[in-house]
Amino acid sequence: MRRRHPLPALRATAAAAALLAANAFAQTPTEAELARKLDALAAELANVKAQLQQLQQQKAAAGAPASPAAPAAPATSAAPVAAAPVAAPPAEPATVFSGYGELNYNRPKASENTQADVRRFVLGLQHRFDAKTKMVGEIEVEHAVSSADDPGEVEIEQAYVEHQLNPTWAVRGGLFLVPMGLLNENHEPTAYYGVERNFVETAIIPSTWREGGVQLAGSFDNGLALQAGISTGFDLTKWDATSTEGLESPLGAIHQELSLAKARDLSVFGALNWRGIPGLQLGGGLFAGGATHGQSAARGRVTLWDLHARWTPGRWDLAALYSRGSISNTAALNATLIGNPTLIPKSFDGAYLQAAYKLWTHEDYALSPFVRLERFNTAKSYADLGTGLTPSPAATERVLTVGANFQLTPGVVVKADVQRFRENKDNNRLDLGLGWSF
Amino acid sequence: MRLWPAAAVAAIAPASAFAVDYLSAEQAARLMFPDADTFAPRELALDADQLRALEAQGVRGRSARWTVRVAQHAGATLGFVVVDEVIGKFELITYAVGIGLDGAVRQVEILSYRESHGHEIRLPGWRRQFVGKTAQSPLRIGDDIANISGATLSCTHVTEGIRRIVAVVALTRRNGALA
Repeated sequence: MRRRHPLPALRATAAAAALLAANAFAQTPTEAELARKLDALAAELANVKAQLQQLQQQKAAAGAPASPAAPAAPATSAAPVAAAPVAAPPAEPATVFSGYGELNYNRPKASENTQADVRRFVLGLQHRFDAKTKMVGEIEVEHAVSSADDPGEVEIEQAYVEHQLNPTWAVRGGLFLVPMGLLNENHEPTAYYGVERNFVETAIIPSTWREGGVQLAGSFDNGLALQAGISTGFDLTKWDATSTEGLESPLGAIHQELSLAKARDLSVFGALNWRGIPGLQLGGGLFAGGATHGQSAARGRVTLWDLHARWTPGRWDLAALYSRGSISNTAALNATLIGNPTLIPKSFDGAYLQAAYKLWTHEDYALSPFVRLERFNTAKSYADLGTGLTPSPAATERVLTVGANFQLTPGVVVKADVQRFRENKDNNRLDLGLGWSF
Repeated sequence: MRLWPAAAVAAIAPASAFAVDYLSAEQAARLMFPDADTFAPRELALDADQLRALEAQGVRGRSARWTVRVAQHAGATLGFVVVDEVIGKFELITYAVGIGLDGAVRQVEILSYRESHGHEIRLPGWRRQFVGKTAQSPLRIGDDIANISGATLSCTHVTEGIRRIVAVVALTRRNGALA
């Protein structure tokens, strides 16, 4: 917003006051009229005084060094006090730090596997170059320690430049989150229920999923938001048939995270969300692209789509999501992998229903119990490799999660839940978590 | 399902002429009080007692100093306009609240929104939820104001800001500072 010098306003007000005064004497008003005009004049004079005082203060402030006690965050800085007609906004910092993190405790039925973990610690940085252009970056450390001997990872989760083309359209270039599902672009622990992210949006949609590319994002006045672009995609040539990783999350096993990503085959993606009624979100996403990059005799293509809905009437928070992925030409791709435990599935899918209710609030405290029903299958079907060679589809896992999020303050959440697995009951567990986001 | 026809209508409805970024404060004020011929600025300074009174209502005073534009027509007060800024998730959201003489919110306008997500707070449907709310209303997300999925922080902070402005205007009108 433009910052205007208040002097013209001051002059205009003074002129108006003078006119009003002249007007008052030019007529022969009744006593009541005269009193009213005098009141108006007094009010105008008070305004002029206030503005003058403010100008003097501004001049004094401009000459004085910044107070070390001045609050750094604009949220806590003083409200606009500049003279009319435009209130000067608080100084907007060009660079903003942010962060989120979560510490989790999982105690499965096989209690010897109980673990406590700094699941992720993320620092974000946003820098605004001008009113239309900014950089958004996030660096993440998973599992607290990353070294040659430790399982942790250090990752750049986001690194993109966004330029606002006009009030409707923005273009993003760089490493960004893929618009798919409800969680991927809103993955901070304060934004979802349960200690762990839901299975469908980790095993089927490989959150936190990001690709490098170019994206157009438009938001329309009828409530539609459209995102579409071209980006890097998956790498089927790194499928490890000897590991069970591909069975845990087929796309999680072959995502590239823009780390020396193979980029001969690019993917296209699109997402459409409608939020035209307050509290309601209806949407879907699609991602498709080649994933063999000319490095395999057989060409394979990965397609993933989802449909989702979220509705937050009053204290309720209801969500539903379905996602399905498929990989083409897996018979040929699997030909050299036969005999290994984990072949490339032809299709995989999952769905969940979730209901949360804000049961109790006191000041910033809020307790929201929730229940989530999920079903997912990471190997719903395999391409036919011949009798005795084609793997059986995996059993569809069903998980019931019951728990609560306790909001300590809007940026801090304490979570607890229990999870019951229909197929692999050894996975039944108790989860505790602490998360924050700012 | 009743929502679908509504969705279809919303999808084909023309874009609002004003629901864009960077609506100026003057434009917003004129939009809220088209009959006004003057928007006289009033500088308000809340004292410690008044800030405590706000706290007692569950409103964080944040600042003791406020500028209120008094919408007037031929010297008669029509209502009040306050322009304020809150942080959304990372960036400032500039918005304006118009309040009628009955103390109820008349209109809310988003003057600028800079976040990558959550532009939907500019939608008329979301802003309309505030119309008619007074200092007695809860004015809370998840209560009388519906959230926008994916823009929770922006919704929460703007709603908090509007609750604060409604309370400040009500308080200062009661004690005569804002006639």
